[in-house]
Amino acid sequence: MRLLRTIDAILLGERISPRVALGAVTLSGLFYGAVMGTFGGFAGDRPLQILYSAIKVPILIEVTSLLALPSFFVLYTLSGLRDDFGEAIKAVLGTQAAVGVILASLAPLTVVWYLGTGSYNEAVLFNAIIFGLASFAGQRVLMRRYAPLIARHPRHRTMVRLWIGLYAFVGIQMGWVLRPFVGQPGVPVGFLRESAWGNAYVVVIEMLLEAVRFRR
Amino acid sequence: MFGLRDIDRTLRGEFRDDIGSIRLPSLLFANLLLAALYGICMGFFGLFARGSEWEYRQMIACVVKVPALFLLTFLVTFPSLYVFNTLFGSRQSLGHLARLVTAAAGVLLAVLAGLGPIVAFFSVTTINYPFAVLMNVAAFAFAGALGLLNLFKTLRYLAGKAKVAAVVEDEGGEVQVPLVSSEPTIDMTKSRGVFLLWIVLVVLVGMQMSWVLRPFIGSPDMPFAWFRDRTGSFAEAVGKALRLAFGAGQ
Repeated sequence: MRLLRTIDAILLGERISPRVALGAVTLSGLFYGAVMGTFGGFAGDRPLQILYSAIKVPILIEVTSLLALPSFFVLYTLSGLRDDFGEAIKAVLGTQAAVGVILASLAPLTVVWYLGTGSYNEAVLFNAIIFGLASFAGQRVLMRRYAPLIARHPRHRTMVRLWIGLYAFVGIQMGWVLRPFVGQPGVPVGFLRESAWGNAYVVVIEMLLEAVRFRR
Repeated sequence: MFGLRDIDRTLRGEFRDDIGSIRLPSLLFANLLLAALYGICMGFFGLFARGSEWEYRQMIACVVKVPALFLLTFLVTFPSLYVFNTLFGSRQSLGHLARLVTAAAGVLLAVLAGLGPIVAFFSVTTINYPFAVLMNVAAFAFAGALGLLNLFKTLRYLAGKAKVAAVVEDEGGEVQVPLVSSEPTIDMTKSRGVFLLWIVLVVLVGMQMSWVLRPFIGSPDMPFAWFRDRTGSFAEAVGKALRLAFGAGQ
């Protein structure tokens, strides 16, 4: 089975070509996104939500990388490790492929969860946990792929931490802007939520302040 | 191309062995280009902050003002660096000093421009003005810190090189052969103090200059203006943004 062998290579951090990695992110992202968008059912224009969600997951993963890449490039050059940049990018790309595969493997859980709950908020929370889990598991692949680089120069460890920080910072906002992923039943289907533009961090700060104020 | 190769070599630290080989005009041009690039990214906030009405003038203002901010700050602070370094630091020619500082600014601006796409993304998707202010201040601070670290790394490198050359000379024989080098030797202990004070000056002047040249981001509550009246101050504005972002003002 060539597919299984590729998946193994992705998960074990073996050498894979960037094209395969990119293809894996896109395909598995499309797959998990489609599953994610089924919460509202299949009636009416709901299949459109499935399509939108499917498109949005690869966008979330790949465009976030694209935005963080220039900073990463400059920082790599500045740290004197520019010659290893290509390898670092391959490691990052391979990790994203792994995150995609992990997400796809968790999709059946999402289906069962959707069948067992009617609460939209619970579905959103469940997906947040799934994405958190996939990212956490992906870190293992990232560290495995980065190990040879770190062995060559310990400064790579700082660089990979910087990447994780940058990626998380941009990714959280990207996830917020690309809402809705799950698609609330009863709400008209749209690619982006009406007035979705906003700032995830501002929202979180406001929620925290609201909570503190309430208690006072 | 556009002097970006010079920026690349600066980032890699390849100039450290031969500061004199920096082509000042092309490095300066590349610096201004990177600043303008960041200006474009910064201008996205002003462009979209007013809803349906696209304020393209704010973006033009940013593209011109960010390079101007750096150039003017440099012009205002460089004479003091030259004078005080000559008085209290170690003798370096004007050209050498200018190259050293321009290279450090190049590092700062390359990091800033690298952060550009992230800043642009947040600027497009955010309508919260205090957040935009704090994000840009943070980007400048981050880039500034890296530029500063790089400058001191270069200074330390030059000082170390001077020292090594001196040791070799001592072992060479009893005859004191004057050290022949195109590079001026740098006494690190003296130069460090001068540069540290100068950096404080640059930060202060930079903040003041940014306030003079404001608005960069452009508050959505105020009508567009190329410049604003002489009121308030940088520190006051950042403090206000902090308070507003953390909800105290609402």
